[in-house]
Amino acid sequence: MTEASNEPLLELSGVNVRFGGRRSEGDVQALRDLDLTIRPGERLAIVGRSGVGKSTVARVAFGLVAPTAGQVRVGGVDLASRSRAQLRGTRRRMHLIFQDPYQSLHPGMSVLDAVSEPLAIAGTDRAQRTERALAALEEVGLFPVAEMAGRYPGALSGGQRQRVAIARALVARPELIIADEPTSMLDASIRAVIVRLLLHVQEKFNAAVLFITHDLALARHMGDSIAVMHDGRIVEQRPSEELIADPAHPATEELLTAARFARSRA
Amino acid sequence: MRRSLRLAAQYVLVVVAAFVLNFGLPRLAPGDPADYLAPPDSAGVLTEDERRDILSRYELDGSTGEQFGAYVRNLGRGDLGVSIRTGEPVRDVVLDRLGWTLLLVGTAVVLATAIGVTLGFAGGWRRGSKRDIGLLTTVLAVDALPAFFVGLMLLLVFSVELDWFPVYGAISPGELGSWAAMRDAATRLVLPVATLTLAGAGSTFLVARSAMVTELQEDYVFMARAKGLTERAVRRHARRNALLPVSTAALLGFSTLISAATVVESIFSYPGLGSLAFDSVVARDYPVLQAVFVLLALIAIAANLLNDLLYPVFDPRVRAAGSAA
Amino acid sequence: MNVRSGWRRLTRPTRVVAAIGALLLAMVILAAVFAPLLAEHPPNRTSGAPYLRPSAEHWLGTDDLGRDLWAQLVHGARVSLTVGLAAAVIATVVGTTVALVAGYRGGLIDAVLMRITDLVLSLPFLVLVLVFATFFGRGTTVTIVLIAGVLWARPARLLRSQVLKVRELDHVVSAATMGATTPRILARHVLPRLAPLLSSQFVRAASVAVVVQSGVAFLGLGDPGRVSWGATLFFANNASAILTDAWRWWIVPPGVALCVLIVGLAFVGYAVEEWADPRLRTGGPRPGVRRRLDPEPPRPAAEEARLEIRGLTVRYGAGPDPVTAVDDIDLVVGRGRVLGVVGESGSGKSSLVLAVTGMLRPPGQVVKGQIMMGDTDLRRLGREGLTRRRGRDLALVPQAAMGLLDPTVPVHDQVAESARLVRERRPAAARATEVLDLVGIPTARHRAFPHELSGGMRQRVVIAMAIANDPVLLIADEPTTGLDVVTEAAILRLLQRLRDDLDLDVLLISHDLPLVTAIADDLAIMYGGRIVERGAVAAILDHPEHPYTRTLLQAFPPLDGPRRLPQPIPGDAPDLALVGAGCPFAGRCPEVVDVCREQHPDLLGRDEHRVACHVESVS
Repeated sequence: MTEASNEPLLELSGVNVRFGGRRSEGDVQALRDLDLTIRPGERLAIVGRSGVGKSTVARVAFGLVAPTAGQVRVGGVDLASRSRAQLRGTRRRMHLIFQDPYQSLHPGMSVLDAVSEPLAIAGTDRAQRTERALAALEEVGLFPVAEMAGRYPGALSGGQRQRVAIARALVARPELIIADEPTSMLDASIRAVIVRLLLHVQEKFNAAVLFITHDLALARHMGDSIAVMHDGRIVEQRPSEELIADPAHPATEELLTAARFARSRA
Repeated sequence: MRRSLRLAAQYVLVVVAAFVLNFGLPRLAPGDPADYLAPPDSAGVLTEDERRDILSRYELDGSTGEQFGAYVRNLGRGDLGVSIRTGEPVRDVVLDRLGWTLLLVGTAVVLATAIGVTLGFAGGWRRGSKRDIGLLTTVLAVDALPAFFVGLMLLLVFSVELDWFPVYGAISPGELGSWAAMRDAATRLVLPVATLTLAGAGSTFLVARSAMVTELQEDYVFMARAKGLTERAVRRHARRNALLPVSTAALLGFSTLISAATVVESIFSYPGLGSLAFDSVVARDYPVLQAVFVLLALIAIAANLLNDLLYPVFDPRVRAAGSAA
Repeated sequence: MNVRSGWRRLTRPTRVVAAIGALLLAMVILAAVFAPLLAEHPPNRTSGAPYLRPSAEHWLGTDDLGRDLWAQLVHGARVSLTVGLAAAVIATVVGTTVALVAGYRGGLIDAVLMRITDLVLSLPFLVLVLVFATFFGRGTTVTIVLIAGVLWARPARLLRSQVLKVRELDHVVSAATMGATTPRILARHVLPRLAPLLSSQFVRAASVAVVVQSGVAFLGLGDPGRVSWGATLFFANNASAILTDAWRWWIVPPGVALCVLIVGLAFVGYAVEEWADPRLRTGGPRPGVRRRLDPEPPRPAAEEARLEIRGLTVRYGAGPDPVTAVDDIDLVVGRGRVLGVVGESGSGKSSLVLAVTGMLRPPGQVVKGQIMMGDTDLRRLGREGLTRRRGRDLALVPQAAMGLLDPTVPVHDQVAESARLVRERRPAAARATEVLDLVGIPTARHRAFPHELSGGMRQRVVIAMAIANDPVLLIADEPTTGLDVVTEAAILRLLQRLRDDLDLDVLLISHDLPLVTAIADDLAIMYGGRIVERGAVAAILDHPEHPYTRTLLQAFPPLDGPRRLPQPIPGDAPDLALVGAGCPFAGRCPEVVDVCREQHPDLLGRDEHRVACHVESVS
């Protein structure tokens, strides 16, 4: 921890999210009375089975989904009280990294434009945008930088695309990075690269990280602590090693048993 | 349940809108509706009293609110006014023609769908083959032709040059209801139906082909092959799913073909609502024109409604969503 | 995206269609532009006697008022083009605006706008225009506005549903999370993705506008002051030209001109749609499969194996640079054993599955090798024969579980359909119930539709279909993709149980090495189309010899024990087109030596453990 204030960066209290039941069995309760706090520089991993509401947490934090009850505070300010313009400003303090590298980049936007987009949105001039974007591309190891900058996502592999996404996070200089399953669609050998780059960004800006995954082993290495979600709630949140060594909640136990079976021999 | 309620509300809204539009159009147009019925330049012909008399007969002498009230009251009674051209009650004139148009458009929709779906599925199944591209370009070309030109050409070739079919009308004057009269009516139906079918089959073909192509890329088609089904059985799966968008297209095509029927009926002097609309436009017979417009709109809306009601029968996913609430 | 690459993306028949369309359009445009030069007579005034036959003076004769028909023909192009273009522009702009506002904003605005759109869509188009024309006059401008006034609804509807999809795309959401304003998101992220649909809708709107304008004019309700093809036809029809031979020069030329314009638009529109349609890239005709068999007579599979693959080689594309996806692979699935094949993207494992199951489609092709099941070479069976084997003694559980089931059929019927391949209807239904029970679907859910089941349940149904006809070999290709850890473990246990209970051989394909080792007896590690290491699971895990296997094991962080961040493997997955003579891993290998780049290492060692590496060998 640095000298940065220890005020919570992101604070969800009693958050409920209910989606209208147009799809199937009536309404879907995505989040129930969820409490979550992230302080500057903190690394928290959220794990849970499919459909427990992990991704909804990210959407709520960015104000993309309004809670049906409860409060979402960023830097101590309730999102509900902000105007649209203020909300845009708040969003720029955070950065979201997506799961699917094939969808998170606009196919018609060059790598340079994609990486410098946070700056374009903030109104930075073109020369400075380009300079910082190129530097970020170098930092994530997309060589040769000048050639990569001119490419379009269609000409990149999944791993390269995810590097572009990280470069964009570097350019954005966020206080909080939310990464929603950023490696689950990548090969293991590429996954390691992305995980390390993500940690690099975190350390560089002393940013907080919210790492969403269903892979407990990865969560253990990405988070100082792990929050286990089940049925729209956080049922257990403790330091990583402690939680893995001695799970308290049945949902945690279930995840651990399954994960241990899947790597019982390796 | 919730779904049906929402549907019902939507359709009531659409029907009301159609009626209001019908009432509002002549009043929004430049000039007074009275001017159409009794043109001011007819002052030499009509005395002021006669003019007022006409206006009150069509209930056009009150305020807009009063006129609307009268309009709604009359609608409720099924009273659509009196035709300016013939003096008959509009309701009778219009109902008389309704059956003919339904017969014409209904037959054409069924034929167009059958032909379009058969050819479209065949093309989509072998997408990119010579047969598919040949079929596709032919359909694109035929579909693009304006219905009135196709009608004219059919008339020219089959009635004038070959003399296979009568040139005009749905029934020859004379005895009604006899076997011969029915045969006669059927004969006269052939060319207009052919024209409309040609006009409608194209879009069904395109929808069916594209739906087939889409379904063939789905994983369940791969699975069907993986589990050892013959190509015939695989095609059955794809077909069932591809029929969903096709059924929608066919029912929505109703409204397109009703439009086309206006022109086609005029060419063949077929006694349907379309030619009635045309004659009314020419004769400035506004009460009839408005009634025809409302009726055609209702038919099209009914086709939409039918689609919304039938869709869940074919697609279990929608069915589940509807029954849950 | 430039036009040249767009053009190249079209298949050849489509290019021909596009070229014809462009040619037809060009004819009409030229006629419209040069109309005064092409016709010496005025189109709208008497310039000769009425009802003249074609002559040197009047190329197409004259109409009932003595107006020159040739002049009407070339001048008519102007009205059609003006109306078509103007109405299409207005309709597309209005439609796009409505779609963007309704689709992106959603809520009440969306509901109201869409109800209006539905209303306009459901009203009979031509009748509406007729009614409007009656009340508002017949000028060309009025016609354009009227046509556009009804024409916008269709693009609005289609574009709006596209907007609904696009706004959920990650890159659009991503822009929003970065604090972009709505106008910026719409302009930079949403609109560009609508461009293909927009352009095809524009062409379509133009074509409908032309047809409607000519239809209105044909009914005699067009602009009385302007010459148009529809109007010419109106006068011809009124003068009963159809009953005399005047139709040849009075009706046919304007009619054909209309068709030229509309067919031109339709062809160009079709080409635009094909260009915009991503399905095109996977489509195309299927050329006949050429089968080249080895001269060597098939040798039956070894006694203890029911599947033995020898020298299997799969190539994509013919000609100068084919890509070899699977390169000379030998594999044996032992009786009652699970063989795990592990490989990352580009390893060729999917091609291997497709080849073994006979589901490989051109341009993919098995060029060499034998696939022995017992004493039959599956390659020699041909398509029919393989279809008969598949789903009977050879079963496949494919990748991408979510969409594998037909959404419109209850799952029980889909399983019964499999069972039906070797049974009558009634026993097949009974068998379906039996296997659904066996894979653990509760009886109450047997009649469910796929969308009513969870991902794990659906994958169980797929497995039920695979085992319905008592196969001897089950090939599971990434059977747990997209499932969470708990479901994943359950599916693995199910496969394990089925192997034991049903005496199955299992070929399990995955990118996840630890996962495969959980239930596999034997292991084959694939890289760049080749097997780099294979043997018993325990032997490989205890002494991983190939540098790739070792780095791959390090790439998975441990759940227990000391913390160890996953180790990256430098570089990217191999590009199969570039794999040359040497070891495919040479480019990323930490232990690479010169010979690795020049010579392909053979798979050496004993049966329980073999490795293909110049540096390491099985000790």
